[in-house]
Amino acid sequence: MADPVTIAWAPPAARYSLRTRAPQGLPPILASAPFADGHALGLGPDEWLLLLPDGTPPPVIDGLHALTDIGHRNLALLVEGPAAATLIQGGVALDLSLDTFPVSKATRTVHDGVEIILWRTGETAFRIEAWRSFAGHLHAALRLAAGDL
Amino acid sequence: MSGFRLPGRGRIDTARPVAFRFDGTPLTGAAGDTLASALLANGVHLVGRSFKYHRPRGLLGAGVEEPNALMGVDRGAGRTTANVRATTIELHDDLAVETQNRWPSLGFDLGAATNLLSPLFPAGFYNKTFMWPRAAWERLYEPAIRRMAGLGKAPDTIDPDRYAATYAFVDLLVVGAGRAGIEAALAASASGERVLLIDEQAELGGKQLGEPARWPWLTDALQTLAAAGVTCLPRTTAIGLYHDGFVGAVERLTDHLPPARATGPRERLHRIRAGRIVLATGAIERPLVFADNDRPGIMLASAARTYLHRYGVAVGRRAALIASHDSGYRAAFDLAEAGVAVAAIVDIRETVDRTLLARAKALGIELLTHHVVSATHGAKRLVGIGVAAIGAKTERRIVCDTLLMAGGWTPTVHLWSHGKGALSWDAALGAFVPEGAMEQVTCVGACAGAIDPGHGVHAEALWSPRDPTTFKAFVDLQNDVTARDIRLAVREGFRSIEHIKRYTTNGMATDQGKTSNLNGLQVAAGALGTAAPQVGLTTFRPPYTPTTFGALAGIAKDALFQPTRMTVIDGWAERQGAVFENVAQWRRARYFPQGGEDMDAAVARECKAVRAAVGIFDASTLGKIEVVGPDAAEFLNRMYTNPWKMLAPGRCRYGLLLGEDGFIRDDGVAARLADDRFHVTTTTGGAARVLGMMEDYLQTEWPDLDVWLTSTTEQYAVIALQGPRARDLIAPFVEGIDLSPEALPHMAYAEGRICGVPLRLFRVSFTGELGFEVNVPAGHGLAVWETLWAEGQKHGITAYGTETMHVLRAEKGYIIVGQDTDGTLTPDDAGIGWAVGKKKPDFVGRRSLARPDMHLPDRKQLVGLLTEDADTVLEEGAQIVADPDAPIPMPMIGHVTSAYHSSTLGRSIALAVVAGGRARVGETLFVPMPGKTHRVTVTDTLFYDREGTRLDG
Repeated sequence: MADPVTIAWAPPAARYSLRTRAPQGLPPILASAPFADGHALGLGPDEWLLLLPDGTPPPVIDGLHALTDIGHRNLALLVEGPAAATLIQGGVALDLSLDTFPVSKATRTVHDGVEIILWRTGETAFRIEAWRSFAGHLHAALRLAAGDL
Repeated sequence: MSGFRLPGRGRIDTARPVAFRFDGTPLTGAAGDTLASALLANGVHLVGRSFKYHRPRGLLGAGVEEPNALMGVDRGAGRTTANVRATTIELHDDLAVETQNRWPSLGFDLGAATNLLSPLFPAGFYNKTFMWPRAAWERLYEPAIRRMAGLGKAPDTIDPDRYAATYAFVDLLVVGAGRAGIEAALAASASGERVLLIDEQAELGGKQLGEPARWPWLTDALQTLAAAGVTCLPRTTAIGLYHDGFVGAVERLTDHLPPARATGPRERLHRIRAGRIVLATGAIERPLVFADNDRPGIMLASAARTYLHRYGVAVGRRAALIASHDSGYRAAFDLAEAGVAVAAIVDIRETVDRTLLARAKALGIELLTHHVVSATHGAKRLVGIGVAAIGAKTERRIVCDTLLMAGGWTPTVHLWSHGKGALSWDAALGAFVPEGAMEQVTCVGACAGAIDPGHGVHAEALWSPRDPTTFKAFVDLQNDVTARDIRLAVREGFRSIEHIKRYTTNGMATDQGKTSNLNGLQVAAGALGTAAPQVGLTTFRPPYTPTTFGALAGIAKDALFQPTRMTVIDGWAERQGAVFENVAQWRRARYFPQGGEDMDAAVARECKAVRAAVGIFDASTLGKIEVVGPDAAEFLNRMYTNPWKMLAPGRCRYGLLLGEDGFIRDDGVAARLADDRFHVTTTTGGAARVLGMMEDYLQTEWPDLDVWLTSTTEQYAVIALQGPRARDLIAPFVEGIDLSPEALPHMAYAEGRICGVPLRLFRVSFTGELGFEVNVPAGHGLAVWETLWAEGQKHGITAYGTETMHVLRAEKGYIIVGQDTDGTLTPDDAGIGWAVGKKKPDFVGRRSLARPDMHLPDRKQLVGLLTEDADTVLEEGAQIVADPDAPIPMPMIGHVTSAYHSSTLGRSIALAVVAGGRARVGETLFVPMPGKTHRVTVTDTLFYDREGTRLDG
């Protein structure tokens, strides 16, 4: 039988924080959409996280904006399997049922005291971004809870 | 009937005996028993000693309301739990429990002497008696009282168990799986909604479990719920109800298993958000208040029925009933039918329902109306009672080993009250019931007052033919509060039930007065001559029943207590044998001892190495904020005291941040990367706070500015290289940057590459030496560090930690915000008034700096101190006085903020804040410390390299 849930470190990626008041070609808040060779995650009314393949140079953005390289700021965990939502729900105070947290939804939230960006990449798959120094704690907490599922 | 187990009755499985130990005595129960039912099946009624008077006590109830039978449960090292109610302990193999609050044994308890002295212990006794001397309260009286009048022993080793937690979201949460709760869940089960049904007991069913005729219905209902996908959680107690449909519930996962089979977390905390909440929490029967109503064998009538029908146990051989309410008759009748002799039914009412009379007669039970139980007899077990007609002097003795009490029912409104739901007095029930609506919460069944056990009267303590000073009529069995205590409180002037409760401690025990609150209220109302609802009801607060700290802590223990943030260089430092310290959530290398060095030796060596050659320091934890946008300089100009608009790209500036109050909040160096981009650094501990403060101003005060803030603290690993050889060390690895002093002077910034990776290079110094801060993307930090470390061997490189950093900066008089400042220092107080832009129109805190108070000459100012004895290092925090012979209270004019031994200077140095300090330079002051008062000379804050030539290497 396959594991109910797997937890793996995501490979390195390019990450940019994009801030602008004129979002063209960008998803609305709490949603994600393809962007260049990767994805844009709408984290706020004027804030997007661009997740792009490792090594991607800063994308060209038109108009007034701010683009900041945060590629090394985060580490990411890929949590996948039938019990993925149940596992993450242990530490996240948002309703992760598919009705309220559908595939492609993304948000900044907190997992057991660690600020994260939670992105549902599939019905049973999530990507969790966390600041580098918090990622170890997050990983340990998820692994501990996974053993109790 | 042999033993007290009744064959063919109950939901227990007598084919599966369960061996357990009670105070070391091996006993046997059956699968499905609680500890309480197993003890009763073994004829054990004496289960504890009371809190204050050490009176022998037996089981009162059969559920969470039990006030007497508190056990210490031992599940192995570190796994001891005190004050567990025997009625909630599921019997399992290897269960070992100890009774509490007795010495040397339950049967012979020396503490019971307090019972003989009890006339000396009225309400408020401790407050009145142990007042003086005040100091003795903490050291002598309180510990002694706690030993004598205590509950269980707190565990003294670390709990090895794990605890889990989760969040749950449902459309409907039903609390309580009795008849009403199950019906509520059934009603919603076909809707497709998410329904969660929780119940504190091991088995769902509530009081239906004690009604054999209802068992087929129960089985069907639970099957229907399961088929409909309703989540049912037994052993799950809703401990608190909060606003917006939030309920905290604790699920007990392993305590019902033999310790050897208990794996995984012990409990799980469910934080439940529900669209609707149905409270079906039932009702608890009330005892009656009469003379010596606490002997083992005296229990609630409903408990006796539960023991009979659910556990197949007869609570005695010969029972009597004292009732003010019809519901108790069922217990008497059921016991009679099960073969237990029923000696008498004593009812305080003059008339009783005819069908009850007829049934009693048919069963041959003597019924005494308008009578009371006037006395009880027996020490460790009831042997008889006295009865008397109300108003009469004569008493008659009736032999019985069990006395059932039926005083009516109290709806369990705790959770409703947690949510601040209103209550109204129901005179027919003699209890408070939920009133009106509350958010998404509704109450159903007995909890809502829908109780149909017949009629009753609700009186205070029963009339007695005896002198009330000759007996104790207990109201609160767990806290040993009697009716007389409550009357005394009223005589002494207490009127509000809240005050009476605190003075007498009625209802303040671990059971929160589940069986005592309303009786206490009735007694108080009687003494006050008012009606119960006028006296009021005390407030219920979470948790509903005692809850482990572990359940609330969840996974936050041991390594997961809280995140320990580590830099990418932390592992290297650990391999080098670094000693670490915690700075905010970060773990930082404090010093790198070699051989047998202590901290002082290591720091002295590290300091010398930095001044003589080059030191390498992990500064990655410094907060970093990238400020981007056309208004970036304008924004910083408004936030910081310094002027930013004229700062050229490629240059750095020291930035000082104040609060609105004009006091120093944070500082750091910022570099202008481009016209519209700054790289701002903050203190390690202030990083999140500064970003939050900046966002606050940006979003609420200046939303018109085109500027955005991004935390880049963790984007970059920061390697500080400090010392005369720093430039030589990095030069071979740096590409695209002219490192010459002319091209890259002090406080310059440049971008290029180092070791092939992108580099943000700051020429800055927090040591007074030639210095660089190498910022590289964090993922490359360790590799760059190791390369520089290897190359540095040619240059005498030394790794240093935060302690050395502190000494080096103190030698130069550089402040550390939060160490040398305490939230009350202005820039001028700290001697850095130069950092305040005099021509700026405004910045955060500017108006406060204009207050006259901020310019008083006797403000505390940062100065240096040199001890007369060069080897003495002052204590940080030590007070400073001008005249050590001044009378006490001696005026204290300042305190030491930083103090170190400086190996560079060969003596100690200190920084301090002193009233009017800068005008005192050259004066002698005094620093009283344990054992000696030290003479110090006031200096300025610059101890080393006054000309600043070393900054250029």
